Amino acid sequence: MTTNSDTHLDTQWETYEVFHQTKRGDPHIHVGAVHAPDPQMALQMARDQFARRLKCTSIWVIRTADVARTDYQDETFFARVIDKSYRDPKAFGAPIKESADGA
Amino acid sequence: MALEVPAGIPKEALQRLLVALADDELILGHRDSEWTGHAPILEEDIAFSNIAQDEIGHALVWYTINEQLGGKSPDWMGFERDWKQFTCCHFTAFPKGDFGYTVLRQYLFDVAEQVRLKNLASSSFTPMKEAAEKILLEEGYHLMHSQSLVERLGNATEESHKRMQAAAEIAFPQALGMFEVLTGEEDLVNAGAFSGNTVLKTEWVEIVAPVLASASLRIPVEKENGEITLNAKPDEGGRKGWQKEHLKRLVHDMQTVYKMSPGGSW
Repeated sequence: MTTNSDTHLDTQWETYEVFHQTKRGDPHIHVGAVHAPDPQMALQMARDQFARRLKCTSIWVIRTADVARTDYQDETFFARVIDKSYRDPKAFGAPIKESADGA
Repeated sequence: MALEVPAGIPKEALQRLLVALADDELILGHRDSEWTGHAPILEEDIAFSNIAQDEIGHALVWYTINEQLGGKSPDWMGFERDWKQFTCCHFTAFPKGDFGYTVLRQYLFDVAEQVRLKNLASSSFTPMKEAAEKILLEEGYHLMHSQSLVERLGNATEESHKRMQAAAEIAFPQALGMFEVLTGEEDLVNAGAFSGNTVLKTEWVEIVAPVLASASLRIPVEKENGEITLNAKPDEGGRKGWQKEHLKRLVHDMQTVYKMSPGGSW
């Protein structure tokens, strides 16, 4: 049995991240993960976990191990030390909901 | 709402067919529900709980039509009937066994259901035809799920193959009992209510045999010059109400809460 590559051994199958779309044309939103032996089964599992009660038009799954990700410990990756507020599109009244420091 | 049976369809035999369909669904649904909290994989736990609910929902559809023909209410059929009056095939009532047996049983049942429903979808009895068309939509997913597991477990590891093969040897003769001919079935066939269990059994074998072969599972079926020979003794009797002890225990479990307060609601 393949185990999740990262940190802990898992007695279950490897995990797949699940992305869910509720309306055609909308973005696929990450909703969670499922255990599955292969992508086809992962789609079936995802259907059961995430599309049984909610409206759904499409599901994507991707092996968790195939997701490249940033490290929370790496503080420099997202650092904004120098004032770059001139680059923010605030003069255009764009609908920016999050603050510049990503909170 | 009372239903009229069109002239030519024998009502008693029709109700016998409806109750047999419903009992199979209810009892297998109950067996599937026994995996809730116990399945080897969390996702399968949820999947089997989901399938259990679907099967019990299908039972309700058939019991309801039976009631509209003058039969007892669905609640009575499920919760007040004596276990010896159930007409499910033995196959659906056997204990859940290991997960391999459960998966294989579910697959063999799902194909049988698919074959039955497709046949009933051209029934001369309209309420049955319409119900079959509706249930078919849900069954497609069940079949995809159980077939995927059978194909994978049959070919995965030595251990999984061994367990699936053992399950196949037990389940195949049992599964043939799904097609036990009902009393009065000939009249239903003549009236166009459905094509009869013998026809359905052949269709079923034609579908399951190649899939099981692709899963490296051996079953006692031979095909020569298009002629199929089944070298297994079908486990029959359920349709006549000759039930076995494990159904008694299952029905007892299923009815316990209801019988604490018959007719109660909350």
